[in-house]
Amino acid sequence: MTSRSARSKTTIAVAGALAFSLGLAACSSSSSGGEGDGKSFTYWSMWKVGEPQQKVIAAAITDFEKQTGIKVNAQWQGRSNLQKLVPALNTNSVPDLVDGPYVKAYPALVATNQALGLKAAYDMDVDGQKVSSLVPEKYLKTINIKLPDGQPWMLPYQIQSDAMWFDAAKYPEIKANPPKTWDEFITVLNKIKAKGDEAPIAADGDIAGYNAAWLSTLIVRNGGPGALMKVAEDKTGQAWKQPVALDAAKDVEQIVKGGFLISGYNASKFPLQQQQWAVNKAALMFNGSWLPTESSTYRAKGFEIASFPFPTTNDSHDSARVDFSGFMVPKKATNAGAAEKFAAFFLGKKYQDLYGTQAKGIPVRQDASISPELAGVQETIKSASSYHQQNDGVAFPGYNEKVFWANSDQLFLGKMTAQQFVDAMVKDQAAYWKAQGK
Amino acid sequence: MSLKAPERSVDPVDSGGASGTPKAKKGRDSGGSMVAQRRKLMIPFVGPALLFYLVLFIIPTGAAVWISFNKWAGSGPMTWVGFSNYTALFKDDLFKQALWNTLLLLVVVGVVMFVLAFAMTLVLRDMAGRKIARSIIFFPHLINALVYGVLAGFLFNPGGLVNTLLKPLGVTDPPQWLAQDNLFPLIMLTLTFMTTGYYTTILMAGVDRIPPYYYEDCAMAGANAWQRLRYVILPLTWDVFGVCAVLWTISSVKIFEIVWVFGGSSGSGIPPTQTWTAAVYTYATAFSGESLPAYGAATASAIISLALVTVLVVLIRRVMRRDVIEF
Repeated sequence: MTSRSARSKTTIAVAGALAFSLGLAACSSSSSGGEGDGKSFTYWSMWKVGEPQQKVIAAAITDFEKQTGIKVNAQWQGRSNLQKLVPALNTNSVPDLVDGPYVKAYPALVATNQALGLKAAYDMDVDGQKVSSLVPEKYLKTINIKLPDGQPWMLPYQIQSDAMWFDAAKYPEIKANPPKTWDEFITVLNKIKAKGDEAPIAADGDIAGYNAAWLSTLIVRNGGPGALMKVAEDKTGQAWKQPVALDAAKDVEQIVKGGFLISGYNASKFPLQQQQWAVNKAALMFNGSWLPTESSTYRAKGFEIASFPFPTTNDSHDSARVDFSGFMVPKKATNAGAAEKFAAFFLGKKYQDLYGTQAKGIPVRQDASISPELAGVQETIKSASSYHQQNDGVAFPGYNEKVFWANSDQLFLGKMTAQQFVDAMVKDQAAYWKAQGK
Repeated sequence: MSLKAPERSVDPVDSGGASGTPKAKKGRDSGGSMVAQRRKLMIPFVGPALLFYLVLFIIPTGAAVWISFNKWAGSGPMTWVGFSNYTALFKDDLFKQALWNTLLLLVVVGVVMFVLAFAMTLVLRDMAGRKIARSIIFFPHLINALVYGVLAGFLFNPGGLVNTLLKPLGVTDPPQWLAQDNLFPLIMLTLTFMTTGYYTTILMAGVDRIPPYYYEDCAMAGANAWQRLRYVILPLTWDVFGVCAVLWTISSVKIFEIVWVFGGSSGSGIPPTQTWTAAVYTYATAFSGESLPAYGAATASAIISLALVTVLVVLIRRVMRRDVIEF
């Protein structure tokens, strides 16, 4: 009898200890809440150790720690940092500073109402200038990075844009006189096609986002920044029948049916066609400002990379694509002040120059140095009268992946005509909004 | 040797079940203290596992059910929407197609794979060098799906290995292997290649424990290979096959990475919707990256997958139920 009760006591003790330790483990993950002391902060980076961008940021961190005494706990997580952030926001252990592109940051932080207004950072001084003066005001007219209270939620440090890329050594005439309008562009394509030694355009058709970029840019060319957003918001889907969208689809069809695209673009795996372009198997490629860096290892010898902006379809809309990547601070951050200080610090001329020349990005500061490959794009951005974003900022839940991209793939891969595409969009978009309860 | 074999290979679970009843009876006869002891040990031994199971599986599943009734972007405010995530899913053609693709993988790949696996067990049983052969056919299962994704480009790109090899054979206009419409059949093919060896290995373990004297009987009765399969191997490995069928059902409903890496630049983009499975649909809905996350709809889709697995497994267990043949 005694032995039995002793044993059952042990059982209870063991079970109790186990439950307690489990409870403790559960608590410890969320016990870092509360106010930080501002002497350190945690940064979840979109860059991985060894990437040129990471090296520039790491150099800035070293200087920052020396100058301010604030310790930066940097975690180089890579591109999934914002995906990891979303579940972390439900706990109390959130990073104080994160970075990423607008398209990923908006869904993760702003739509969930978790982004801190960064007015304090914009009010700081860097190199004797106010930070707010370093982010050109004209970008912010059409690119909305403001919270409802008017405070910006992102402090951008780089811009990604796009262009038609080509080899200036092979096509000096395009460099001297790039096509400005769609008609001129088609003329150039026909000339290259007639010559017959390479395809006019390379495209990796397995990347839905790249395929859709043709159509969305054409819609923005037809109707200006926000035109695609307006079409996508239409609950009936009928907006796709308007000329702004239908004409854009017809232009894409013209590219597809015209036989301008490299053979096999609809049945290959990225980055095959990009590589073909880089070894002069195709003349032009419509791609992001990352293309010079991405193709640097396999470009043919003597390939002189140059670019011109996406052609216009009428006189009034020549906007340049500006996709911000920058720093965000979650509302729950305990060392927000220190994090904002670093975000502002990184806009110093020294680091923006390094970012342009070594990381080969386009720095957000217009006075920063830039690599020669991107000089053309930077010039386009500087001289443009308005700005648009990737997907024209459209980010409704699942809309791009399930509705827009799925159909634009069919158009771009030659399985639908412009009219069929528009009809499919009318139907699918109406169904989409109905399913969303609108 | 032939006498020892059956003894050694008897399933430990079976032996526990078969001989458990007499033992328990004996225990009860001798005063029941054994049963009481066992019952008392139940809590400390099973308790921790149960606790982990509760914390790691039951509670998250419950939470998922709760989330599926809400509209939620992953963090921040949650809005109760009742069953509307579910009704929206069943109205969504893409989700229906994803479910259909999942069933295609389950049934078509499943049937082809098990036919191949059984055929291989027959060949491998009396083949010379069968140990090496077994390792080789198991090998594809060890390789990360990402490798197949990259390899697909290497093999099937317009200038890839397959077309290069076809050229000297006079094929100047080869099929567009990686066109969107061909991707799903290619995925099914790869999946068959990946999993056949795995299930063959499990089935072989079942076939190996069949005592050789049954085969000797067959030989004497003049049975052919088909009859041997029909009357000896199938009945005696039925329980192993049943377990394999359940394992395959569970894993096929969760197929994700192979689809993910086959389309959309080996994982850095999103695969074309024609190839989506229910698992890919769930992932793309929650973590698409370029649209607002819809965790409610994503968990609803996950819960439907869970329900599907449960129903299928119960059905398979029903259909496959036979009296275990003791030997």
